[in-house]
Amino acid sequence: MRPSRREFVKWLSAGGISVSLSHLAGAANAPFAAHETLPGRGNFNPATKGAGRVDGVAKVTGAKLYASDFRANDLPGWPRTTSHAILVRANDATHVYTGMDLAGLKGALKPSVVVTAADLDRVGTQAPEFYAGDLFCPPGKTPLYLGQPVALLIFETFDSFDQARLALRDGTFVRFGEETGPVMAPDYGSYRFTRVAGPSPEKPDVYSPLQAGWVSPRKLQTTALPVWSSLAKEMPADYAKAAKLGEQIRAELAADDASLLVLDREFETQSVDPMFLEPECGLAWYSGKGGNLELVLGVQSPYEAAESLAFLLAKARAPYKPTQINAQFAHVGGGFGGRDHTPFILYVALAAILFPGKPVRLAHDRYQQFQGGIKRHPIKMRSRIGIDRATGIIKAFAADHVLDGGGQANFSANVATVAATAAIGIYDIPKVDVTTVALHSRGVTAGSMRGYGALQTMTALEALIDEAAGELQLDPIEFRRRNALKQNGRTMTGNPYIVSVRTPEILDKLEKHPIWQQRAQFRQASGDRLVGTGVACVTKDYGAGADCSLGRVELGPDGRIAIFCDHVEMGNGIGTALANRVATHLGAIADEVSIARVDGYDVLGLVTSGDPYTMDQKTQDAAQGNPRWVPRISSATSASVGAHVGTHSSAEAARVIFRFGLWPAALELWRIPKTDARARQWANASWQDGQLTMPGLAPLALPALAATAHARGFVTGAIAHSFSRWAWSRARFALFGEPYRAEIDALAIRRGSGRFERINRSSVKFPPTDNNRIGTAYTSMCGALVRVEIERATGALRIAKAYSVLECGTALVPEVVIGQSQGGFAMGVGYALLETLPPFEGGPGNGEWNLGRYLVARGSDLPLRDLEIEMLKPLTPDEPPKGMAEVVMVPIVPALINAIHDATGHRFRALPVTSSLLKGVLA
Amino acid sequence: MTTLSLTINGRKHGPIDVRDDLSMNDFLREMLGMTGTKFGCGAAQCLSCAIIVDAPDGTSYTSPTCVAPAVNFDGKSIRTVEGHAKDGQLSVLQKAFIEHFAFQCGYCTAGFLGEGQVLLERLSRAPVAREALEQTIADALDGHLCRCTGYIKYHEAVRDVILADSKRYLVATK
Repeated sequence: MRPSRREFVKWLSAGGISVSLSHLAGAANAPFAAHETLPGRGNFNPATKGAGRVDGVAKVTGAKLYASDFRANDLPGWPRTTSHAILVRANDATHVYTGMDLAGLKGALKPSVVVTAADLDRVGTQAPEFYAGDLFCPPGKTPLYLGQPVALLIFETFDSFDQARLALRDGTFVRFGEETGPVMAPDYGSYRFTRVAGPSPEKPDVYSPLQAGWVSPRKLQTTALPVWSSLAKEMPADYAKAAKLGEQIRAELAADDASLLVLDREFETQSVDPMFLEPECGLAWYSGKGGNLELVLGVQSPYEAAESLAFLLAKARAPYKPTQINAQFAHVGGGFGGRDHTPFILYVALAAILFPGKPVRLAHDRYQQFQGGIKRHPIKMRSRIGIDRATGIIKAFAADHVLDGGGQANFSANVATVAATAAIGIYDIPKVDVTTVALHSRGVTAGSMRGYGALQTMTALEALIDEAAGELQLDPIEFRRRNALKQNGRTMTGNPYIVSVRTPEILDKLEKHPIWQQRAQFRQASGDRLVGTGVACVTKDYGAGADCSLGRVELGPDGRIAIFCDHVEMGNGIGTALANRVATHLGAIADEVSIARVDGYDVLGLVTSGDPYTMDQKTQDAAQGNPRWVPRISSATSASVGAHVGTHSSAEAARVIFRFGLWPAALELWRIPKTDARARQWANASWQDGQLTMPGLAPLALPALAATAHARGFVTGAIAHSFSRWAWSRARFALFGEPYRAEIDALAIRRGSGRFERINRSSVKFPPTDNNRIGTAYTSMCGALVRVEIERATGALRIAKAYSVLECGTALVPEVVIGQSQGGFAMGVGYALLETLPPFEGGPGNGEWNLGRYLVARGSDLPLRDLEIEMLKPLTPDEPPKGMAEVVMVPIVPALINAIHDATGHRFRALPVTSSLLKGVLA
Repeated sequence: MTTLSLTINGRKHGPIDVRDDLSMNDFLREMLGMTGTKFGCGAAQCLSCAIIVDAPDGTSYTSPTCVAPAVNFDGKSIRTVEGHAKDGQLSVLQKAFIEHFAFQCGYCTAGFLGEGQVLLERLSRAPVAREALEQTIADALDGHLCRCTGYIKYHEAVRDVILADSKRYLVATK
């Protein structure tokens, strides 16, 4: 059961446990690997002709793909029988938890094992820092949050499990005693973003987070919210400086200045569930007595999952401490951020550790998924904007955000900063001051979810902008155009975007669209049916500031291509995007694409240390002296990085194969000597219908080139690692006597049919650590128009027509981009009009929520025949792909709010705007 | 316990003893290992668990499996996503779903596929007018939830299959 040398990838030194992120020994042909490698050698691949996804056939035939599809008897070498576990969660967080009453489970329904906090003490587990707190609430304590786990019940047979879960459905067996009120805990993070621009765009900023760093106020334990004043006692000097300037901005907004239109508005957003269709699930088997722990999981962050599991058990006592952890990762049935850094996997592992010798499956049902799954942050916002009445130019903006982070920290601090730095949207505003705090509460934990804070703050902003345009009697699109940030303009943190800024083009598209042109013609502000039109334009960062990917590309002697990548397929089409991007270098679509693979790159021998977000330059400079060191080895498939980052390393690996494999093979077949000038003109070659073409030379088919490359020992495989901190790492490698520079930091190559060999970089330039002061440098723009019809009597709203226009650089799979845009639109509509989860006792933490009560947009809620999506063409043929998975859901939300105002005259300042609320204001 | 016999994708299963409260979804997924039929909500709200039931009169309908006891299917003939392709050949609708990039994560695909197939078969028996087609498709698919796609490509795929064989599915226009 030990991984073979070839499959061995990365061992984490975690208290003596070997962690293999690899497949089991001999797994190359095992069912799991075969299922997860699509479409599979020799199988029909719809992507070959651009007529489908690489996972297309598997998904329409019901192939086992998802973690929830696998049982022990699907996995080679595992015992044949699967046991089942129930994760019991607290449905009260204001009373002392006293234990469970399992007397109702009699006979065969009795669990074989009950795992509680006391068992974890006995085992010696430790909670990873990211999930700090009690993994199980012990009796005698008040749960930290609603939905906090209290126990695992493990049943040897499915029938016992199945009947027990029905018997326990109402949750009353979880008992509570004395009322204590909720547990109070410190906030998860508070920040202040202040920027004062120089006297002109060319001049340096007076103050910016880029110059001065990000600042936080000192925590004052006696107050519920941070004290933001610069005059408060013992504030850090860096904070006081920002706060002093920030308060000057606020004073200007508060001054009695007739030349300035000042709007001071509040806006509130709700908690929602990612509602991915496959509830979280996992399968694990611990052989016992210090043997292996094997897992099958479905997450967006496989590497983090494995690290967390290693930490969890690093100090476990015998016989609970496994020698080795082997984690295998499956396709994901939807993610939307909710499977990024999820603690669920820890409980999958614990179930197996505490029931050794038996494979155990832990699967949420939908009630449990609502009760325990990661949620979107509700945010309360107060925004003030000052606009010069004469010019319609925004002069200043100030806002205060309060996020409810729920029970565990998770990504709350990060979401708060992304929300804050997104608060001025597409606009160029010279004076900005935004405070933000993410609070602990007894609510269900909030974390990463599509839109990641920017959805909330840009919705509030775009509603505010619409109102301001109305007050100024300016056309809303013209008002936006006057204030839109231009290419090279500075964002709130003081840096410019380093990618295209196409806001003007998008605003032009919006302005010329018939929905906008005909708004007056269709508008009805009286009568039984009200009609209104709304517009919004936003920008959304992509990338998380420390993103990386691993890619391995292999070319067979027959020209067949195989790709392995560490990023995860959760519907985003990354498998097909990888195939297409690699095909631009190798001329053909891969017939094997294996995603969520964190094995297969061991030859790189990567090592890492420190935190890529907080390390200083000196530390990074010292560390990079080791040619195998990188700031981070693998990151989550999140933050819309699938196209931009997830495919990058594989594309660079393919580039190496072309340059040092296929190109020299072509020269041989063309009989062009190395001394010929044409031998250096590989950039002039191009692929056409699977043939490498060069002006004046005979086209060469890929199989012939591949055969030659193999026969002559040229490069036929490459493995690469890349890292981005708002810029790619760049390194130089000595390859065949010449320096090869690329946007990667680690490389291995295979010659002919030999073994992979590491090529130590001869120099490297990692992005400077000061880039951590950047809010974002990568961004994508999207605009939306919508016309709504509202029945006065019922408040029923129908979306009559809608238009969404986005830019995403080069679309690797245009059909997937359009599909994701349509899906983002639908999710935005649900967020604006339907979806909501109450906080606390009436909310999902009580274990009583499911679909039906929680409304998700169905086809009948959407303008299926009247939604137009336009994707701007890339600026250049080689423009890199931009992340777009999140931005497409954002602008429809404020556009709907603005359309509702246009129709009803009422400006809603909280989400969702349900039909009953509409009916109320129209009564 | 009840003894259950049924036909799945043309193959007879049973007699097999099942608990009276065992859901059809668990019968398929846990007892038979047929995990192509998904579990989404357990409340018949998302229909990712839907299968096709073939009635003796030659008609077919879809049924959720998450809230339906397996014993309800005794003596019945059902089709699941694993049975749509015949002899290794994808069905017309399966091909259309692929070609239209109809799905993303794919977890809802089995349900949409079953519903779309039932619609095609219903229209082949009782064609509708072209002008009623959009609403017919919308009504048929509306019970199914998808969180990734926004539904449009599913609808387009079904529509294109129908329009490509309009003589079969649509009332002839004069």
